[in-house]
Amino acid sequence: MKKSLFTLAAFVLVIFATTAQEVKFEEFDLDNGLHVILHQDNTAPVVITSVMYNVGGKDGDRKRTGFAHFFEHLLFEGTENIERGEFMKIIPANGGTFNANTSQDRTYYYEIFPSNKLELGLWLESERMLHPVIDQIGVDTQNEVVKEEKRQRYDSPYGGLFQAIGTNLFKVHPYKDPNIGYMEHLDAATLEEFNAYFDKYYGPNNAVLVVAGDIDVVQTKKLVGDYFNEIKSKPEVVRNFPKEEPITETIKAKAYDKNIQIPAIIATYRTPGFASRDASVLDMISTYLSGGKSSVLYKKLVDEQKLALQLQSGNIPQMDYNIFALFAIPQGDTSLDTILDEIDEEIVKVQNELISERDYQKLINQFENQFVNANASIAGIAESLATNYLLKGDVNLINKQIDIYRSITREEIQAVAKKYLSPNQRVEIEYLPKKDNE
Amino acid sequence: MNKMKTFNIKTKVSAFVALFLITISVSAQIDRSKQPKAGPEPEITLEVPGEFELKNGLKVLVVENHKLPRVSYSLRIDNNPIATGKKAGVESLIGSMLGNGSTSISKDDFNEEIDFLGANLNFGFSGGFASSLSKYSDRILELMADAAINPLLTEEEFNKEKTKLIESLKQNEKSIDAIGGRVGRALSYGTNHPYGEYTTEETINNVSFGDAVAFYEKYFNPNNAYLVVIGDVDFSTIKKQVKKHFGEWDKSVEVTTTLPEVNPNAQYTQINFVDLPTASQSSISVTNNVDLKMNDKDYHAALITNNILGGGGEGYLFKNLREDKGYTYGAYSSLGANRYGASRFNATAKVRNMVTDSAVVEALKEINRIKTEPVDAQTLKDAKAKYVGRFIMGLENPRTVANYALNIKLNNLPKDFYTKYLQNINDVSVEDVKRVANRFFKPENARVVVIGKGSDVIENLEKTGIPIKYYDAYANAVEKPTYEIEMPADMNANKVLNAYIAAIGGQDKLDKVNSVYITAEAELQPGVMMNLEMKKTVKNQSLSEATAMGQSIMKSVIDGEVGYIIMQGQRKDLSGDELKDAQVESSPFPEVNYLNGGVTLEKIEKVEGGNAYKINVGNTKSIYYSVDTGLKIMEVETSEAGSSTTYFLNYQEVSGVKFPFTMGKTFGPRKIDFIIKEIKVNEGVTDADFD
Repeated sequence: MKKSLFTLAAFVLVIFATTAQEVKFEEFDLDNGLHVILHQDNTAPVVITSVMYNVGGKDGDRKRTGFAHFFEHLLFEGTENIERGEFMKIIPANGGTFNANTSQDRTYYYEIFPSNKLELGLWLESERMLHPVIDQIGVDTQNEVVKEEKRQRYDSPYGGLFQAIGTNLFKVHPYKDPNIGYMEHLDAATLEEFNAYFDKYYGPNNAVLVVAGDIDVVQTKKLVGDYFNEIKSKPEVVRNFPKEEPITETIKAKAYDKNIQIPAIIATYRTPGFASRDASVLDMISTYLSGGKSSVLYKKLVDEQKLALQLQSGNIPQMDYNIFALFAIPQGDTSLDTILDEIDEEIVKVQNELISERDYQKLINQFENQFVNANASIAGIAESLATNYLLKGDVNLINKQIDIYRSITREEIQAVAKKYLSPNQRVEIEYLPKKDNE
Repeated sequence: MNKMKTFNIKTKVSAFVALFLITISVSAQIDRSKQPKAGPEPEITLEVPGEFELKNGLKVLVVENHKLPRVSYSLRIDNNPIATGKKAGVESLIGSMLGNGSTSISKDDFNEEIDFLGANLNFGFSGGFASSLSKYSDRILELMADAAINPLLTEEEFNKEKTKLIESLKQNEKSIDAIGGRVGRALSYGTNHPYGEYTTEETINNVSFGDAVAFYEKYFNPNNAYLVVIGDVDFSTIKKQVKKHFGEWDKSVEVTTTLPEVNPNAQYTQINFVDLPTASQSSISVTNNVDLKMNDKDYHAALITNNILGGGGEGYLFKNLREDKGYTYGAYSSLGANRYGASRFNATAKVRNMVTDSAVVEALKEINRIKTEPVDAQTLKDAKAKYVGRFIMGLENPRTVANYALNIKLNNLPKDFYTKYLQNINDVSVEDVKRVANRFFKPENARVVVIGKGSDVIENLEKTGIPIKYYDAYANAVEKPTYEIEMPADMNANKVLNAYIAAIGGQDKLDKVNSVYITAEAELQPGVMMNLEMKKTVKNQSLSEATAMGQSIMKSVIDGEVGYIIMQGQRKDLSGDELKDAQVESSPFPEVNYLNGGVTLEKIEKVEGGNAYKINVGNTKSIYYSVDTGLKIMEVETSEAGSSTTYFLNYQEVSGVKFPFTMGKTFGPRKIDFIIKEIKVNEGVTDADFD
């Protein structure tokens, strides 16, 4: 299950970024509105070029879900100067690695190269932004590939978990739809619709370019201009998503998975988006509940009472609403209700009493450790910089996030638990093995 | 600590260039129609870890890296692979019991302290890993050593882990990955090999607390152990600390284990199928065992060769199965190197059910391609560049140099293995790739392990012509699965037979047939024809004779109450039941006789893509009639020697009655098609033919 939750987290990308040593960076805008962030670190001959676009699963027509993720595939097909299939050949052929990922909020592309290939990385990303080839052959191929990706991810044990959460926790906000989209939407989509989507969301003014690693800042600035200046800006993207009504009565739901034998229980709460202070407080509550073997829920349910085989809580970070989720797989004949009752007992304690001074210090130590490790690679740094700028509105969070955690008091932890984590504010999902005829 | 880094990448003239650029940047032109040229290769020098050894045998490698205030310790007990057989799972159990306290620190206190330090500490049966901020580096090392040397092992903890392990097996019971991995390893290595054995509820229940403790005592020792320290530490300080905390760990008796041979590769290409009715994708693995060690002279060529076939998005497999056909999210191959000579070549993909057979065929095609076609020079160059780049970029992570140093020791590599690495990669030639592909990729002896939904995929897999063997999820051989299709409650054998009679022309037309004379031929092998002659009458007379190259191979004659068979010159007279059965069959349309009883309708089965009623005649014969057309499409006869199948195809009308003009007969693994040359009704047959 660890694996599934990891995948789940990878959909939305947890970031507790910042380093113990200050991460220095420089930022500027091109005339076309492309924001550029440079981070120089010459300790190893490696460079990353990455672009984060402010477009994710939540964007676009609700009868055409899954476009953002589909584009993540489509934009590797080729450009006016890069033949079909060459994108994935050129990068390894120059000793580089690449990948891309899509969340409900944004799409992220990157290449990592030995540092003498910096210009190549900039060329690739500018080609993708300037004039990718979007044609029927590419659409047809990637349509099949995306379906396989869906089968691989969602049709594996506990693979339907995240969709079950989205569907039940959101009624009107587009977070209700699966990030990968409904396949019938992709089947029905026309080439014109794909082109229109590109024109709407893939402008330089809706993106951030990060170049990090073994670079020379002056030379890099020039190259960035050379490759990106000619890209025209596009009309500003306006978003106006419907707001969710607060949950005031427990919503009970069931979901079925044909690939499992043991059921699971999920209790999930709609909480403030990741840029809010309350989201940071909830990060700490989540770690208090299940971070490490001495955490209250792990110790009680898994270790002492042997009620759960696995137990995990998580504060899944998203822009508009976070998803605070408690997940457990029962051990033996334990009922799902019993597990939920035992979990609630501990949450009630957090709501009614201050956590101990020692537990508080433990949390701070755990976050400090995460903070130091988060930016151990230039790839991690680049992504943090992009996210902090594009989605959180403060690049320097990379250095300040730990101060936010340090500033959160025990009283605040209690208050936030009270404010968001009561049973009537949540969705309870019984995640059950699917029998043949269900 | 021998430490030296010389990175020489940046030009000293950058400041000057910057000044210059301000004036020309407006007019700076790039040609974006061409891929930009790379700058000069970065110069690299490999760092070498500091080393020392304790008296108890523990070897310590230290990589100082002060970029971040953190440290990690990884302990590796380097035992030979251990077969645990009927007690498989004992290693997982002791592994999860370790790291939960020591004889002097209770479990709760221990776990609480690890978490309080914000640190991580995990153990397995062959080592452990700890990391923390460097301000806690001494304490976390002390806790790790204490937990390794004086572990708190209690029966209560053992029972708890046992329950958890059993339940966790259930979590993956329906996972094509888990089943595919287990079955692939078991069939390739053999279940008595440490790499091939697997854990089940039964083997876990065979393990006692004493077994787990004994496993620890026997195998968890410093004799062949390595401790790798990476991070913000100082060599001389860490040396003192390691000596202090790990110095008391007692050396123990050398354990000698003999490793069984791995299973031989399959004698011929075969599909090893596991049915998983819930699967919406098939997991495919084309695999054969290889003996490849890192110190093999072909090691670098093997890396490159595998990369060209299936190392990534640019590999033959990915290009074909994903980018060209869209069968899969990814198709890759791996070629394992193992110092015990027990590793595998493995080409894998997960594909949707309906293209399982095509994906198998295409994967085999790509494997054969790299063995027969010389690799394109540019493709080879690109593959090398990828390894060069990875090597350079690997230096960002301080763990890399530690891994290199450890690899040299574990795999008995020359000291300069990694300094010569790039040279050896660059030396791989087009010829090397083909030669090495032929040495390691053995599709002709490969198992194609497929986990999938049998009712969707088996029929098409059969059409590939690759023999299929069936296994359960634990690699035990099983019968081919059959799939029940619901049959209308009021269906019976006579309805099926009457539908058949109606379909071939109706009872009226059949009544007018007194005799049939059929001649057919089949090509046994190129240029060698077999001729078949059959005569049947409504008076229970039949004759059939097969001849090849002018010689009679088999002749059988039934005439009312007597009958005989001549095979290879030996005559055998028929009597009793044999004769009775033969009489029924000697009719031009035995179905007319079946209407009198002796047959049963069993079920509907899928045959050649369509549904068919299965009618059993006695205990040895089953006949299949198409649900759609009513026609007879297949007959299976079972004897002690095996079963033989006849297919009936290509029905054509003669004198108002439909006859199959193609009859496919299986002989062992072969199928031979008899093509009808002529069918005569009510002519060419006399009583004298059956003397």
